[in-house]
Amino acid sequence: MKKTSIDNSIADDAIAEMLCNDSRAEYALRLIMQKYGEPLYWHIRRMVVVHDDAEDALQETMLNVYKYRNTYSKEFALSSWLYKIATNESLKLLKNRAGFMQSVDDLGDSLKNSVSEESSPDADKTVVLLQEAIALLPIKQKTVFNLRYYDEMSYEEIHHITGDSINTLKTNYHYAVNKIKEYITEHSLL
Amino acid sequence: MIDLEKIGREMPYKMPDHFIENLTERVIAEVKQPAKKKSPIYLYIAAAASAAAMVLLLLNPFNIGTMGIPDYENISECKSIDEMFQTMSADDLGIYSMMTNYYGESTL
Repeated sequence: MKKTSIDNSIADDAIAEMLCNDSRAEYALRLIMQKYGEPLYWHIRRMVVVHDDAEDALQETMLNVYKYRNTYSKEFALSSWLYKIATNESLKLLKNRAGFMQSVDDLGDSLKNSVSEESSPDADKTVVLLQEAIALLPIKQKTVFNLRYYDEMSYEEIHHITGDSINTLKTNYHYAVNKIKEYITEHSLL
Repeated sequence: MIDLEKIGREMPYKMPDHFIENLTERVIAEVKQPAKKKSPIYLYIAAAASAAAMVLLLLNPFNIGTMGIPDYENISECKSIDEMFQTMSADDLGIYSMMTNYYGESTL
């Protein structure tokens, strides 16, 4: 495999500048993959649960980053733009899985079953329960919960990704936390 | 009550070894490929469909019929089939005869 030495400390502004320069765009894509590949993979994986789906969505995310690199606006953080594309790809994949007859929110049970199938045998039971509870959440609550809890983003950053108002995001996060706690409490007792 | 912070941010799944490196190479290989040109097959299909439509238009027996055979409204005005035949020209009768031989009388 071809190895390219990459400086992981390069700032996002510099990466964004390279991305918009055709002669350096490929190198910028490598930098993005090295810096954000793993966090984006986990963000997508938490949304779609199955590894193969996460792989497809992450690949599409990166191809779209390259394809639409000239549409990136410096007004927003590079990370927000990347997460926005990754979130859209996750949603697209879930919509395809849901088909014409049902909404993405109807996939809860199927995603919950995938959590059990995809989890390592040695995984902590409460950690698995947390993922099951997240899988059952409506998509908006799931998105804001994942971005806030796992990626530790501010509501302002999440607003740039989802386009929802701060108040809506806060409400959705609040509902998500309550539902998760309820699910874990109920299933821990069984 | 459950404290989510105590559960932590660990994931129950595993990411395959070297997954990001391998995916990076695949993505780079993909973006290096020149933009795929659209296959000209659709041009052949469109041309074939146009040719087929032209042939059908030229050979359609109903087109031929409109040159002489009374249309549906005229048929309803005819007192009898015999009277309808009387309104047909010799050429029309020839075509009718040819079509009857070819398709059979019941289908016409």
